[in-house]
Amino acid sequence: MSRRTLVFVACSPHPRSGVSTTARLLTDFYLSRLTEVEGFDTDPHAPRYHEWFPDRTRVIDTADIRGQISLFDRLLVDDGVPKIVDVWQRAYDRFFKTVKEIGFVEEARARGVEPIVLFHVDQTDSALASAKSLSAAWRDVPMVIVQNEGAAPLGAYAHETLGHYPSTRRFLIGALDGAVAKTLDEPDLSLSRLLVSPPPEMSIVIRAALKAWIAPIFTQFRSFELRHELDGAQFLK
Amino acid sequence: MAQRPTKETKQSSAREERPPVVREKVPPLAPQRGRPTLILVGADKGGVGKTTIARVLLDYLAANNVLTRAFDTETPRGTLYRFHPDQTSVVDLTSTSDQMKIIDTLATAEIKVSVVDVRAGGLEPALQALQDTGFLDAVAEGEVGFILFHVLGSSIASLDEIAEVAPYVEDADYFLVKNHVNDTTFFEWDPVTHRKYFEKVETAGEITIPKLNELSYEQVEIAGAPFSTFVANRTAEGEPADHSFVLRGYVRTWQNRIADEFDRIHLLDRIAGREGA
Repeated sequence: MSRRTLVFVACSPHPRSGVSTTARLLTDFYLSRLTEVEGFDTDPHAPRYHEWFPDRTRVIDTADIRGQISLFDRLLVDDGVPKIVDVWQRAYDRFFKTVKEIGFVEEARARGVEPIVLFHVDQTDSALASAKSLSAAWRDVPMVIVQNEGAAPLGAYAHETLGHYPSTRRFLIGALDGAVAKTLDEPDLSLSRLLVSPPPEMSIVIRAALKAWIAPIFTQFRSFELRHELDGAQFLK
Repeated sequence: MAQRPTKETKQSSAREERPPVVREKVPPLAPQRGRPTLILVGADKGGVGKTTIARVLLDYLAANNVLTRAFDTETPRGTLYRFHPDQTSVVDLTSTSDQMKIIDTLATAEIKVSVVDVRAGGLEPALQALQDTGFLDAVAEGEVGFILFHVLGSSIASLDEIAEVAPYVEDADYFLVKNHVNDTTFFEWDPVTHRKYFEKVETAGEITIPKLNELSYEQVEIAGAPFSTFVANRTAEGEPADHSFVLRGYVRTWQNRIADEFDRIHLLDRIAGREGA
């Protein structure tokens, strides 16, 4: 079986579509399985993702070439450690322009690193156009559509909207009740620790709601991981 | 500056002396593989990126399997020589012996393509020397190829050079090179100025050299290696290096864009003396 170092690029051209939440959930997914993971937050002004994992993430300014060096040179290291990039919406264009300009995808493939785009959908036509543009530019880069029902609900025509996206793989992040969602904002709250030893001061109701929210998400991540490993299994080819 | 006859006077005198001849269409000539070609990269103004373009040109020719020798006129210590020591000689174009070293060996040297990186302020004297030695007449006769890359900066002083250089290069492939060493323009926003300098002179065309970001450029400088060697992540000595992939990516993309420009003007065909270039 050929294992490749995975690089997840969580992105959206628009704000409030749940990009940082996905980066956080994915990071906690790996931590819950005692797997090393490394993250990059491209929002130098309000790095929420970095605040949740100050020891495992670093803040990158993609407008600065030194920032690009510390990001992309690290992403290209095939060390088996999954890497997660939270692409801030204002860094979206710059990020993918740099990816194209430096030939990142081609070099990644050559080095045993596999980029995976986690594209966050919303109701706008421009989001769809951006997804199609990315897919056309890098046809061999897997794209997973992330539908965050809390951050960017698609409404009654969700299936129709999703049907236009250039990917059939999907992560569904469910919506949370307002009070429970507020708990998520606490910077000290670790979702991976919550699963094994919830904070004693946390309400049982909130604890249960969070677990019920996290479980199907982690199942999707695990399912994706297994499917990906199967795809890379040489003995099945 | 000595004035060569203009194209108009040449044509009018020819019309007077000879009756009009009806020419048959001739098939394109086969590639003249043996014809030597001199490529001059120069400008009178300093700091416009002449050596950078000479360096990227040497990389381009090497990538296309064109054997090239180079001459650096920045005596005594040449910048081009620093990056391409194996193929570069440092010469003084005002010295007769060095002129002989370049021009007299054009036809006899095994390597048929010679690139001369002319130092700042040296373009006009170099062209004068080429005229005085009869080189430009040989170009007019088609015995040798002559390509001039006139590197321009975005200043009026730099653009003023065009009119001074043009009379020397009627039979050459004369290219104006807009080198974007920074974010300034070449007066495209001012049609009157732009037309004054760029549209009144007959050239083979223009080349646009995109800007390479400062950090990438500086890292190649520090490496002291050709651009291609840097991109290949090697030291100047050919050993494995540890250059940033991001910077190498930027340099590679920049090189590719310039290569597209060289391809657009059919540089390889011009060097080979092929028709239609």
